[in-house]
Order: sequence, then structure tokens, then C-alpha cells
Amino acid sequence: MSEGETVKNEYDELRCTINGTDYSIAAPPSERLLMILRDRLGLTGTKRSCDIGRCGACMVLIDGKSVNACLAMAYQCGGKRITTIEGVAAGGIDPIQQAFLEEGGFQCGYCTPGMIVSVAALLGEHPDPTDDEIAEALSGNLCRCTGYGGIWRAVKRAIEARRSAAT
Amino acid sequence: MGLNLRETGSTPKVWHPRTAAEAWAYKRNFGPDGVYVAGGTLLRTQWEAGIVRMPANLIDLSGVGGLSDILIGEDGLLLGSQTTLQACRMHALLQRTFPMATDAVRSIAAPSVRHLATIGGNVASVVGDAVTALLAYDASLIWHTGDGERQEELTDWLLTAFQPGSLNDRLLLSVKLPFPDEQDRADSSAKRVSAYHKVGRREAFTPSLVTAAVHGFLDASGTVESIRLAVGGGQTVPRRLEEAEREMTGQTLDAKLLKHVHARIMELYEPREDVFADSAYRKRTAANVIVAELWRASRTST
Repeated sequence: MSEGETVKNEYDELRCTINGTDYSIAAPPSERLLMILRDRLGLTGTKRSCDIGRCGACMVLIDGKSVNACLAMAYQCGGKRITTIEGVAAGGIDPIQQAFLEEGGFQCGYCTPGMIVSVAALLGEHPDPTDDEIAEALSGNLCRCTGYGGIWRAVKRAIEARRSAAT
Repeated sequence: MGLNLRETGSTPKVWHPRTAAEAWAYKRNFGPDGVYVAGGTLLRTQWEAGIVRMPANLIDLSGVGGLSDILIGEDGLLLGSQTTLQACRMHALLQRTFPMATDAVRSIAAPSVRHLATIGGNVASVVGDAVTALLAYDASLIWHTGDGERQEELTDWLLTAFQPGSLNDRLLLSVKLPFPDEQDRADSSAKRVSAYHKVGRREAFTPSLVTAAVHGFLDASGTVESIRLAVGGGQTVPRRLEEAEREMTGQTLDAKLLKHVHARIMELYEPREDVFADSAYRKRTAANVIVAELWRASRTST
């Protein structure tokens, strides 16, 4: 067995880009991205809830794709481009967030950052998604107080806003 | 929210082999203190639930060369074990040639989980929902065993998969889906029957109670030329219902045969029950969804 290059020790250096900024973070390679974002970087818009990838409150984008930050381990994020809800809103309120505001797509708001990140992933891949694609994209995000009607309307409005902005 | 792993102070080492042989050597060296990790999504749920302890060593398979692609082989499609479920879901050739596989993958968790989880991990879990669809396609597994590669029928591996030591140190390299044979493709009058169903307690992102897959061909008169029936779901190890398949082959798919098949599925399928669904419910569900598909096929073939 060749040790050295291949072994990762108790604390290793995670190099990645988070919301456009390059980071080098000393972290155990098995530490979850969720804890790195919240506890080490103070990016608390990424919410902690189920811890097992079932609720979507901790959704982030990794290289543009939706991933549960509670499932991703530090070593899986090396060299990746990570975007949190703070990154989605880096240029001010994003049109997706605006749509959630206008359509009442939230109540307590705990699931909302994850919802918005999932919608951002969806629209990044499918700017004009079908209803099936919307349902599938949001199938990993649970809301336990708003109900899904307002969320669905917000997604539709966000799609329409993007369409209008493009013309 | 329970005590999590970070709070226990558990910090395993992570190893990054570049070849299957190197990964195998790590596993061989660590024994039970080392675990192969693909996406790690199922392992995370087990660690957090306390079902298994986080091991001292994680053997990261993501960097092992050649395991993350879907390749066209001489006689089948090779799904690299590290191919993510979402990559399988979106793969045009897989979708066109083996649609039950992509249907099954689509029903597993959500895109955010499928971006990490792999087809190899789903198979290695033994009770993954994709396994039932793969069985109906007569899939085989290609392993690295330390002294080379070994191909094994999926149906054979499942018979012993939960026995202690059945996995040993071997590493799953790929899942092979055989292309339909020339006779199937040349006989344009044959009608394909192909359907996968997952039944859970919710419409989406739900553990399965029952998974069922049907794949075969009827001739122009409605006679069963070939058929495969596979069932699984929950913690039930998926299996083919080969006795029922044999009894159907060569028979006309009429009401009498459908009734017989329903009864045989009820007899042959032995699901594990839990507090949410008993065995009788699961048996009836599997029999109903399979026979409904066969009935639909019988109506459109005449």
C-alpha cells in the first residue's frame, strides 16, 4: 500500500470555491459540508434539519447541481464550485427569491433557502421546465407549514420572470 | 435531532485509490475497519441512525479510473459502478434501451441525492430499488476480486448477498445489461412488455414497500415468447419469480393465465414486512401491478 499522496489525515486542507471566493479550510475529510458552511464560515442560510438528505433544507449547488450539504463530505468537495443561498443572493434579491416573496411561497421560512437553491439548479439546467421537471426538481425539498401551492406559483412566476427578462 | 458524528469526535481517515487493485488492497488491509465509499448517501443514513459505526477508514472510490462512465460493450451496456444515479437517469442510450432502469433510478430519492449516490452503491446495498429493474434485464455484475475480474449473474449474487462474508473484499466494477438478442430485434411482430413499478407510502422520495418489474415479449397471437418477473421492495432482497416465468412461457396470455400468474406471485413472493405494511399487503400489491401490466399488454397485442 502506498501511503503519502493517497492518504487523508485527520485534518486535511479542503480547497474549494464558495460563492465565488477561493477557500482553503482545515477540516477532517469526512466532515460534512453543512457544518463547514455554518460553523466555520458562518453561512447560516444553509439550514440544518434532517441530517440524512431527506428534507432539502441544507441544499447547495456543487458545480451547479443541487446537493444536500448534510450528505456531502469535505473530501467530496475538493476543487468544487459551491454556491449557497448567500451566493444566489450575492447580487441582491434574486428573481427566484422575489417570486417567493410575491407569491407567498414561504411561511416560517426554514425550508425556503433550500427550495430556492433547488429552483436555481432547475432553472440553470432547464430554463423553461415542464411541470414534471419542476416536481422532480423539488421532490427533495419538504415544507411543513406553507403547503406547496404558493411554492409552485413562485416557481412558475420565477420561470416567467426569466422568460420576460430574456425577451 | 440526535447526536451526530461530529459530536462523537469520530474522524476516519479517507483513502483515495486510483485503481481497482489499489482500492482492493486497502480493503484487504483494513478488513472490517475499512469501508468502500461511493457517494456515501446510504452510509450516512446508517451512521446517523446508529445502525453501523463510522469505520476508521473510508476508501473513496470516486477517483478510481474508468468506473464513472456508461460504455457500450460488445454484447451489452456497461454501467460503471461509480456512475451517479442522476447520470444514469439522464443517459439517453440507457433510457432508450433499458427504460426500466431509468424509471427505477428516477424513483430513488431526489436529484440532490442522486447527484452523489451511485448505481454501484445501490446494487451493493442489495435491496436498492434499481436492483429489481436490473434483474428483469438479466443483468450481471463485474467484480474486481484481487486476482482479476469476475463476472457473476446478479440473480446468483443476490442469493448469498446478505450472508456474512459474501462481499469479502471484492469491489464492484460495473453492471452489465445485455442487449436484446438478434432474434428479439429482428422479429418485428413481437410485442415488448416492459414496466417497472415502485409502490411506497408517498408518491415521491419515499422508501419502497414493493418494487416490481416485468420484461418480455408476446408474439402476434398473444403467446408469451419470453418473460422475466422480478420483485423486491423495502428490506426484501429482490428476486426473479422463475417458476412463474417458466409456467407462462409458451402460453397464451389470457384471463386464465393472468389469474394463475396472480396466484403464483402471491405464493412465490416472500416480502419482509414491517410496522407499516404486512406481507399480505405487499404480496397483493406486487401481484396486482404485475398482472395489470400483463393484462394491458394482452389487450393491445390482439
